[in-house]
Amino acid sequence: MLTVLATVIGFGSLAGCGTPAAPPASAGPSAEGQAFLLATEPAAAKGVKEARASAKDADEVTLVGRIGGDAKPWIEGQAAFLVVDSALKPCGADEGCPTPWDYCCDADQLPNNKAIVKFVDGSGKTVATDARQLLGLKELQTVVVHGRAQRDEAGNLTVLADGVFVRN
Amino acid sequence: MFRLRLLPWEYGIRNLFRRPARSALTLAALSTVVLLVLVVVAFIRGLESSLAVSGDERVVLVYSIGAAADMENSAIPARTAGLLAASLDGIEQRFGTSYVAPELYIGTKVQTAADAPGMFGIVRGVTPATPLLRRQVQLLAGKWPGAGEILVGRLTAAKLGCDAELLQIGKTIRFDGREWRISGQFTAGGAAFESEIWAPLAELQTILKRQDLSLVAVGLSAGAAPADVELFCKERYDLELQAVAETAYYAALQKHYQPVRMLGWVVVLLVAGAGVFAGLNTMYGAVVGRVRELSTLQAVGFRRRAIVISLIQEATLLSMTASLNAAVVALALVNGTAVRFTMGAFALRVDGLAVLVGCGVGLLLGLIGAIPPAVKAMRYPVVEGLKAI
Repeated sequence: MLTVLATVIGFGSLAGCGTPAAPPASAGPSAEGQAFLLATEPAAAKGVKEARASAKDADEVTLVGRIGGDAKPWIEGQAAFLVVDSALKPCGADEGCPTPWDYCCDADQLPNNKAIVKFVDGSGKTVATDARQLLGLKELQTVVVHGRAQRDEAGNLTVLADGVFVRN
Repeated sequence: MFRLRLLPWEYGIRNLFRRPARSALTLAALSTVVLLVLVVVAFIRGLESSLAVSGDERVVLVYSIGAAADMENSAIPARTAGLLAASLDGIEQRFGTSYVAPELYIGTKVQTAADAPGMFGIVRGVTPATPLLRRQVQLLAGKWPGAGEILVGRLTAAKLGCDAELLQIGKTIRFDGREWRISGQFTAGGAAFESEIWAPLAELQTILKRQDLSLVAVGLSAGAAPADVELFCKERYDLELQAVAETAYYAALQKHYQPVRMLGWVVVLLVAGAGVFAGLNTMYGAVVGRVRELSTLQAVGFRRRAIVISLIQEATLLSMTASLNAAVVALALVNGTAVRFTMGAFALRVDGLAVLVGCGVGLLLGLIGAIPPAVKAMRYPVVEGLKAI
């Protein structure tokens, strides 16, 4: 009997990936988050790809992109999320992808079209409230973010944001 | 006047000894059923416990995004450990040593002798920082491995399906094309590590011709959260890392094995159901053979309800004795027995819950098994019953 159970365990571990847990529903922006929301869209926003190519460390940047780039583009309990260049299209509903915001159909193009946005307080620390609760955001929304660029030696782009405009 | 006059308590007990062979057989059958229930519950409890105690809430595992939950498929750059140590503020430190443990985690063929058949084992490449994060691990005997040496866990023999004698300190085993001397044995409080073989990371990398790692375990200081490590992984998306709290990792594995646990409980129900039917069969036989006696009891003035209660008392006494027998056997022979599974091995656990479930099933067997035949016997007319042979 135990052999049967142990065998079933073996088959269980071979089973494919399941549907990921649904993210918590985002309510409207919190009172704390209102400070980061912009009433009007900032002008001259660059796409993520363009910003990655041109922005230098500590440059002021205005970035437009779609929230996604990972099955879980959020960081639990932190005001930070991933954005992807709007030129990339998320996987279509007809492809049966349960998380179209992970852009799994264009995974090879993601590294050059992805950036992370962090909302920071006056001391430069990331605000310790989940971006979904702070700003009422959800996956695949197009956002225009204003802030300062932070580059690392590998060319990754982090935007230390001070304002966001939610386009849709 | 209307008070129910019960049969004396001793009457039921004496009845059990009047038919010793039948009572002994019923006792053996009931003991077997309860023992089976205890074994299955011990399996479920052992599996749950192994995964539950494997995680430390202050430890975060950093591994490859593409590996899903399978560490063996994870490959991350060797510099990840250094980057994490240099980039994160919330890493615990002691005497200048950061709680950052790079590890290789592989499944490989292990031989206890050059001509012995290979058995699938789990090998973890470790550094002296590893015990800082795997706080459950205790060295039982021997010493930390030096060059060409390894540590084996308490359940490694069970995982390899070999005799524990072959994994004593000083013996050698063979994997990945070379021989390794066993320098020590460790325990990990029932955690999954207990079925692993630990080898020095650098040496394992050299032999495997691998420069990468499977994972980096990071110990957080007070006030730091797993999200800090997660944020680093998202910022350094060129490294394709993911960070998962160790407790969350093992909780996900628990969820992964949920169907197995459900299957286990279904087996418990089926075994208990079969036991009830076996009990019913035995009790029908026992009661039908006593129709004249039961009718005589009615004739001398005992009410049917009192006789049914006496029959239930007999069956319950028998089933509870069987439960105690089974619990003693399970604690003596089943508890702690190692069982192999894909991730390693775990020990069967006959804990309080297992004994409670086993004895509960035993009690139900006595109660449910006795009522229908007793009720049937009471439906015989007294006159016909007295004439029965």
